[in-house]
Amino acid sequence: MQKNIDNKQEITRKEAIKKIGNYGKYAALTALGTYMILNPQKAQAASAPSDPGTGF
Amino acid sequence: MKSMKTLYKVIEDKTITWFENTNEYVVLENTTADILKRLSKGISVEIIVNALSKKLDVPLEKAEDFILNLKKKLYEPNNSAKKEVINDDRYIKKPSSYNFVTFYKINEVIFKISYLNEKESSLIHPKFDHLVIDAVENFNNEFEVFINNNYIFLYVDKDYIGSWSHHHVHYFQGKFSMEIIQKIHQKKEEEWLGVFHASAISNGKKSMLFLGDSGNGKSTSLALLQANGFTCLADDFVPMDAKKQEVYSFPASISIKQNSLKTLIPIYPELATSTEYNFTRLNKVVRYLKPNNTNFFAHLPCNDLVFIKYEKDAKLSCKKISKIDAFQQLIPDSWLSPKKENAQLFLDWFGSLNCYQLTYSNNEEMIKTVSNIFKNDL
Repeated sequence: MQKNIDNKQEITRKEAIKKIGNYGKYAALTALGTYMILNPQKAQAASAPSDPGTGF
Repeated sequence: MKSMKTLYKVIEDKTITWFENTNEYVVLENTTADILKRLSKGISVEIIVNALSKKLDVPLEKAEDFILNLKKKLYEPNNSAKKEVINDDRYIKKPSSYNFVTFYKINEVIFKISYLNEKESSLIHPKFDHLVIDAVENFNNEFEVFINNNYIFLYVDKDYIGSWSHHHVHYFQGKFSMEIIQKIHQKKEEEWLGVFHASAISNGKKSMLFLGDSGNGKSTSLALLQANGFTCLADDFVPMDAKKQEVYSFPASISIKQNSLKTLIPIYPELATSTEYNFTRLNKVVRYLKPNNTNFFAHLPCNDLVFIKYEKDAKLSCKKISKIDAFQQLIPDSWLSPKKENAQLFLDWFGSLNCYQLTYSNNEEMIKTVSNIFKNDL
């Protein structure tokens, strides 16, 4: 089967918003639900070893 | 809903939210933080859903899904925390004698530190070698360090402080340093705001923190700056107090990696002959350089955070960076007090900072730039 999709066709922002319709609104919700959790070290530490080795 | 203690701080276009139960910092959109604030005030989900649905022009059920999901993820206490292995230390007997006993003097405070064997000594001593004094009868503090059953133990003035497996030896070293600063500066652990993995210099009036990944040149920059009129306050372990949010001096040596020797030996000829330590575990070979600080009681305010990077042939660049980006890099590398009052002080201090990214290859240009940052004259 042959597909005829013209990817080069450019549309304006306004047209794009119209095209995605209601889904555009949900982008705002997705942005609100995007966050970054940062955990400090659980205790004071010196520079951490890159290879913890096999024992003392 | 069970109330949860949170703090909020607007920085740039985000809200940093701190959760007391986990000591986590979460970078949120302002609207998301407002939703959390309303939930914690006891405002019903229905009211918040209605407001959000109107604001974003989305169907009620979508707004509701979003809020319930947010509430579940951020607001309800997470009890799945990994259980830590509890070491049963009751039957551990302290050694009756130690093979390495060393005395150190930090300002006027004398520490007697007893290491069971060379191994224990090698984990601590090299960074403090420049503080060694002859054995004395009277000392202020006694630390004991020994390995037993593959755990390393620390006692301070006869009190058990903790024990760590070899996987956590950097936490042992961190705790050791923490005990030292508590004794030098007469402050208990809860009186500290945090400890940063950074280098700290001062111009006598204020201090500046250098941050960056290992190998970026924090310590080398520090060594260059202390040869050019600045004072080294701390390297690798930078404590800050809660009361005044000042950077405190920590007396350990500056660790210099092999690839910096060529730059530094002309300035510090002693580095050519100083002992080389091969830390296979850290995958690095280092020599230690004495800090030029003579007053280990020193503590100074800090307004500037500099992410520093030495890059061969790089043109000097120093620009202000987003504080949110700086925050994301700072937190995972730091120990921050879990106390609510301290977390608030930390957020307020962070909010008042200037954050820079400094990339250089020419040492003189770097020194001049740091000098200008100190003068607020960039």
